[in-house]
Amino acid sequence: MRLKIIRIIITVLFIGVILHLFNAQVIRGKYYHQLSTQNRIRVVPLDGWRGAIRDRNGVVLADNKLAYNLAVTPQDITDVEPLFEFLEQVLDIPSRELMRRYQQNREAPFAPVVLAEDITREKAIVIEENEYRFPSIWVQKTFRRFYPLKNNSAHVLGYVDKVNEDKFENLQEYGYSPQSLVGYLGVEEYYDRYLRGEEGGLQVEVNNRGKQVRLLSIKDAKQGQDIELTIDSSIQGMGAELLQGRVGSVVMMDMESGEILAMVSSPDYDPNVFVNPAFNKIKVDILTDTRGPLINRVVRGTYPPGSVFKIPMAFASLDSKKVSLLTRFNCPGYLEVGGRKFGCTHVHGEQDLMEAIAHSCDVYFYHVGQLLGADMIAYYGKMFGLGRLTGIDLPYEKPGFIPERKMYRLSGKEWYLGNTLNFSIGQGDTLATSLQLARMLSTVALNGAEVQPHVIRSINGSPVSKFNFTRKIKLNPELFTEIKKGLRATVADPTGTAYDLNMPDLYIAGKTGTAQTMRGRESHAWFAGYALGKSRHVSFCVFLEYGGSSQNACILGRQLFERMREKGLI
Amino acid sequence: MNRSLVFKIWLFSILIMIFGLIGLYSATFNNVRVPQKIFYDQMIFSLIAILIMWGLSNTDYRKFYDFAYIVYGGNVLFLVLVLLSGRNALGATRWFEVAGFSFQPSEFMKLSLILALGRYYSSRSSNYMFGFYGRIMYVVQFIIVPFLLTAVPMYLIFKQPDLGTAILLFGIFFAMLFINGISYRFIFGFMGLCVLVTPVLWMMMKDYQKARLLVFLNPNIDPLGSGYTIIQSKIAVGSGQIFGKGWFAGTQNQLNFLPERHTDFIFSVIGEEWGFIGCVFMIGCFYMLVRAGLSIAEKVTDKFGVNVTVGIASILALQVVINVGMVMGMFPIVGITLPLVSYGRTSFLTTAIMLGFLLNLSRKRTFAG
Repeated sequence: MRLKIIRIIITVLFIGVILHLFNAQVIRGKYYHQLSTQNRIRVVPLDGWRGAIRDRNGVVLADNKLAYNLAVTPQDITDVEPLFEFLEQVLDIPSRELMRRYQQNREAPFAPVVLAEDITREKAIVIEENEYRFPSIWVQKTFRRFYPLKNNSAHVLGYVDKVNEDKFENLQEYGYSPQSLVGYLGVEEYYDRYLRGEEGGLQVEVNNRGKQVRLLSIKDAKQGQDIELTIDSSIQGMGAELLQGRVGSVVMMDMESGEILAMVSSPDYDPNVFVNPAFNKIKVDILTDTRGPLINRVVRGTYPPGSVFKIPMAFASLDSKKVSLLTRFNCPGYLEVGGRKFGCTHVHGEQDLMEAIAHSCDVYFYHVGQLLGADMIAYYGKMFGLGRLTGIDLPYEKPGFIPERKMYRLSGKEWYLGNTLNFSIGQGDTLATSLQLARMLSTVALNGAEVQPHVIRSINGSPVSKFNFTRKIKLNPELFTEIKKGLRATVADPTGTAYDLNMPDLYIAGKTGTAQTMRGRESHAWFAGYALGKSRHVSFCVFLEYGGSSQNACILGRQLFERMREKGLI
Repeated sequence: MNRSLVFKIWLFSILIMIFGLIGLYSATFNNVRVPQKIFYDQMIFSLIAILIMWGLSNTDYRKFYDFAYIVYGGNVLFLVLVLLSGRNALGATRWFEVAGFSFQPSEFMKLSLILALGRYYSSRSSNYMFGFYGRIMYVVQFIIVPFLLTAVPMYLIFKQPDLGTAILLFGIFFAMLFINGISYRFIFGFMGLCVLVTPVLWMMMKDYQKARLLVFLNPNIDPLGSGYTIIQSKIAVGSGQIFGKGWFAGTQNQLNFLPERHTDFIFSVIGEEWGFIGCVFMIGCFYMLVRAGLSIAEKVTDKFGVNVTVGIASILALQVVINVGMVMGMFPIVGITLPLVSYGRTSFLTTAIMLGFLLNLSRKRTFAG
């Protein structure tokens, strides 16, 4: 009985569908057929306005400007040759090239094909004046991304470009079309969802010459949301100037809030290149440059931290009570272990922990490393955020690496005492990013409060507070007081390794690092520290790839602070 | 009798597949957005589907009874995993990558739910109980528990968000409720309750889903987005007239007016190129297939068999009616595929398994009867 009812219901539904089809295809078929042969409805896309990006002082870092594209509508082309000759003349592009673009991008007879992007206003006017001769041509007005400060902050910002195939797969559901612009790298990528405007369009009815007769409907393009960053573009500029011609990075973070004030990576690039096809050659140069100008070295460059790693080592030695503040080791300039000599920078003589930090004595930390063992070192290294993502709101951050014995065992490698010694001075497999080191220094300065680094300040005027939290490292506060004395001595003591950074009326403390690289190349130069200025407290990290002695990093740091003080920024 | 049913199922499903491939070939021909390779992909999957149908028709269907709850549980777990994995990545959350193949657990859920509800109902006798307590027990056993079995995956799929499949699951539940002889009083009472909570569902919907429903009521409010699709697909189907424009001659199709024409809107391609005749042929094939399924249900002796066949037949019917209705602007665009025709591997294979069950059950009758 019930089965019969189900059968009847289904039959009725199917009959309903057939009847509807009958109505659409047989009774009203002619009407629809007419509509389809003429298809007089066109859709003209309107670009969405991408949100602007400003720095902490309201300086515009990324904006849009009006641009003109030249397009032709295939079904309206009357004479091909005169049209392309005319375009060749005006645009200065060989007609063969134009033909190639036309054939490559043609999608449907009614869909305009863009032949030249971002043409000058003058050319646009000339073309529009000739529209009566060539009804197929059309000057589209679009918005083009524009980075007024060019290279400044390029790595923080990223760039925009057409969506690529991989991304399109994922983004299709969110209303992106293959023509959509999407952010790559930096803030443009990380906050793309907020920045992106929504494309709108016009639906127009056209006559048989392809000219609009009636506007049927309009869907306004939506504006993306503006973003304000924690970055200070003037500090960025100073950093970039100092790094000019060198490979390296500078990062500076507001110590208490985790706001990134400056993040400069060198070599850099001009993001404007990516939005304008006229610069395609430069774009290729950037993409193929072996020094990797696109890489944001602050978050993606991982290098051995060298002696900067002695900071977690110092905490480890005191916290584990293997060493007290009074323990002294003799440094004869090397330490012989298992028949191999492990060298030190100088002959330091007898040193206690404070002196060992200030002078960056390797032998002292070889001894400490032997007492601690590799597992303990790894434990404390991780405690200070090494080998772990900081979680900054920028894409493709790298976590660096803290070697562990168990990993060695798993991959069938042997862990020797020599590994432990190298580990103790931040050499060997240990890798860290500048950002991790800058954050580690702020953690030390704040007695164990680990802040969350971030570059976002507000979206569309409403402050973003989700990064305002800290994680507490539970260590005896006295340890911090003592070790900070050592870090201060590094800068303030005339025998300290960073005495170059000793500036009157600016309290700077920190640790140098000279990380040895492969044979025959210069060392990497590091300085990670914190500065307690009048207006703000910052932690920072200066890094020079193959930059030689850490002294070079210190000098660069000093120049940066001097310039900042001139402008009253610290 | 029994043999002719088996023959019918084979005949109509293969006819549908072939006709679908013809349509898909045209839909992917010279299409800039959709590569032709998906046609060959679908062809291979048609062969796999036939193998699956053949294989399933030869296994012992009581095994499905044993595995029903396990399959259901596993499927729900997959739905949860899909939601969790989708939460981190900015991307579509319906798919699962397994060994390079993407798998869509929501499609398979239709079958899992049919099996689970089938088992649930067949292991309980629906004798009406007397007294207040008895009535409550009855409602809990025959409506509330099965509803919860349906609601959990429904919610998970709704969250993805995939409104269409969620609706289909509810359709399965309703068909099962109906076929198991639940008193009309309760069925209508329950439906009434569902109508009452609709406003709550409305509030839970994502903005774009609301927009779709609103656009369905009045396509002119968004002539560029969903409205555009409806208008263009209506034009496509209508312009096919009686005999169609012929293969590859559909202007709406070939000129790229129709988005999504290889998946959910494949019927518009068929309608345009093969006309009313072609549409009636295809829908007729589906109707005969569903009829065959219902005939099996009439002859199967055990309750599990009845439940599963009716579930499968109704889900096929529902999918066809909603999909075609969607293409012609009778229903909102909710993203339901046309079984055996739309491109989509999981959907295709799920349908093949369902048909395999039908084949199997039509064969089993000889032993039972």
